[in-house]
Amino acid sequence: MLAVDKTFKERLIDFTMYCRERQFVLGPQETRDAFAIAERGYVLDRKLFQYSLKAIYCKRKEHFDRFDEMFDRFWSRYYEEKLEERKKKIQPIKKEPETSTVIFLGAKFNVPKKEKEIEAKQTKGANESIRLRRTDFSKVDIEDKKHLEELAEELFHQMSMRFKRRLENSNKGSVDIRRTIRNGLGKGGLLLDLAYKKKRKEKRKIVFILDVSGSMDTYSYYLLRYIMVLKKYFKSLEFFTFSTDLTHITPLLRENSEQETIKHIGKNVNSWSSGTKIGESLTKFISVYGNKFLSQKHIVVILSDGLETGSVTVLKEAVRTIRRKCKTLVWLNPLKGMKDYQPIQKGMVSVMPHLDAFESAHNLDSLLKLEKLLMDV
Amino acid sequence: MNKEIKALIKDFYEHDYILNEELATSVFLLKNLEKPLLLEGNPGVGKTMLAKTLAKHLGTKLIRLQCYEGLDVSTTIYEWNYQKQLLHIKLFESEKDKIALENQIFGMDYVLQRPLLQSIRAEKPVVLLIDEIDRADEEFEAYLLELLSDFQISIPELGTIRATSKPLVILTSNRTRELSDALRRRCLYHWVDFPSKAKEIDIITKKLPNIDEVLATQVVTFIHNLRKSSLNKPPGIAESLDWAKTLLLLNVDNITDEIVHNTIGSVLKHKDDVEFVRNKSVQEFLYPID
Repeated sequence: MLAVDKTFKERLIDFTMYCRERQFVLGPQETRDAFAIAERGYVLDRKLFQYSLKAIYCKRKEHFDRFDEMFDRFWSRYYEEKLEERKKKIQPIKKEPETSTVIFLGAKFNVPKKEKEIEAKQTKGANESIRLRRTDFSKVDIEDKKHLEELAEELFHQMSMRFKRRLENSNKGSVDIRRTIRNGLGKGGLLLDLAYKKKRKEKRKIVFILDVSGSMDTYSYYLLRYIMVLKKYFKSLEFFTFSTDLTHITPLLRENSEQETIKHIGKNVNSWSSGTKIGESLTKFISVYGNKFLSQKHIVVILSDGLETGSVTVLKEAVRTIRRKCKTLVWLNPLKGMKDYQPIQKGMVSVMPHLDAFESAHNLDSLLKLEKLLMDV
Repeated sequence: MNKEIKALIKDFYEHDYILNEELATSVFLLKNLEKPLLLEGNPGVGKTMLAKTLAKHLGTKLIRLQCYEGLDVSTTIYEWNYQKQLLHIKLFESEKDKIALENQIFGMDYVLQRPLLQSIRAEKPVVLLIDEIDRADEEFEAYLLELLSDFQISIPELGTIRATSKPLVILTSNRTRELSDALRRRCLYHWVDFPSKAKEIDIITKKLPNIDEVLATQVVTFIHNLRKSSLNKPPGIAESLDWAKTLLLLNVDNITDEIVHNTIGSVLKHKDDVEFVRNKSVQEFLYPID
């Protein structure tokens, strides 16, 4: 057993906190396991320590893919220091560069003054997650983008788990007498195991039509990921994208990883980030896919800013037809999240009377709030 | 590299399984921290084979539980031997001490041990493979939690049965559904990816010593390029091996359009995928990759 010093223990706890802030779900057991491997001396071998922590701290592929980079970012300094200590033992003592103590994620580090600023930039406050959840997707700077993606991934995952629990809740129906008696035959006719009839699952049919035109560019990516999460739990979910033309995306949602699917969709959708012809696209949806995906069992969700460049009359007629043929029509408009926004653009004005719900979808919080709306439909 | 991990890699290699350092570390921790290991990855990347090889490496028994929808306690943990209990009741009908009779028929002699109970009651630690856990229901995941964290099983009539020897537990999942956080938190985790080109050539030449290295390289290049295409079911290592075996059987030394047309069924298992490949020239899949 290796005696692990207090500073190292603190650093390991800081690393655990650092991972938690990046949405790793870690409890005291993981920290105990990490101490256990440190005490066994695995820390002396960087790779062994890295891979061991990786096996303990990662709980899903998304964590696994990010871990190495996080480990390097956090532990490089430690291993560099250890290397320097070893060098110092061999070389004559040189005057150390001027350093100052900075606090990074609760741990004290001696860093050269020049690096102080860089380190300070990496420091994140406790309310970081709340701030990012409320940040409009279009206003996220490059520095925050990565954190926002990590946060979105975790929050969408939590949401999907809630969906799953609710959808699978109380699946047991009444006792199936016939099967119960049959089960009892092998047990001397005793009815020990009750067999239940399965409740008939309610079929939820949802159609998402996502605007991927230039004006929606900053939102499309997050909305796309949101829909992909929902796809896992709604067996009957159809997905279309449009800008100047309509594309049926559902057959492309087969990839195992979300990132791969997004790449795949990017390759296959020709009109990504181009102009907006909402009316024409919706008309195509009605004529080509209407028979299959428009009925009184379908909920249609259109995600668009409503900035129509085509004919407003065509748009109005298409929305009116969709509303008439489906159960519920929901319009999600990221612009609604803007302060003082009023749906006064010609396109929006013409469709407003036909909508059952008109909600915003501009940040993570607003997307998560849609959960209730979708569960109730 | 740590000596024990090096030895582990070597021993696995002798058992025809090529471990990389990262996966070897996870297996090493599985042995040393006594925590279950959850392996996720695409079908055919060698998750199940890892458990089989671990059992060979340790010279112990492998107990495998193949998961499916509807799996429950009676098929995985235990079930009372009702026929034997009824016979016992009949035989001792005249017994006056009913409590003693009840104690007798609810003893271990009347329990049919299923894989999970067998694994914790084995004299020597065994390797317990819970295969494709994502196919089982969520309720079954909940049953597993007690076993995975404390290596014990509670039977209402008998109380808690603690492990005589702690099994080495490997769970595999193809990610067809999300597993619960509670289950994940009790396990070490490793994502098993498709192997690199060099590693896959190693695997093929190790398993099929008679294969020509040029042909093995062609097979692997073809398969790696196929995996980059958007297929319904990308081929795994098992498919690479099957194809290489097929080509060896047919005495093929060079992959041509005709060969691909006739043998692609051993690689691709989906009609659309087969058509996709048949409509392309073999050269499109044989260009060199990194």
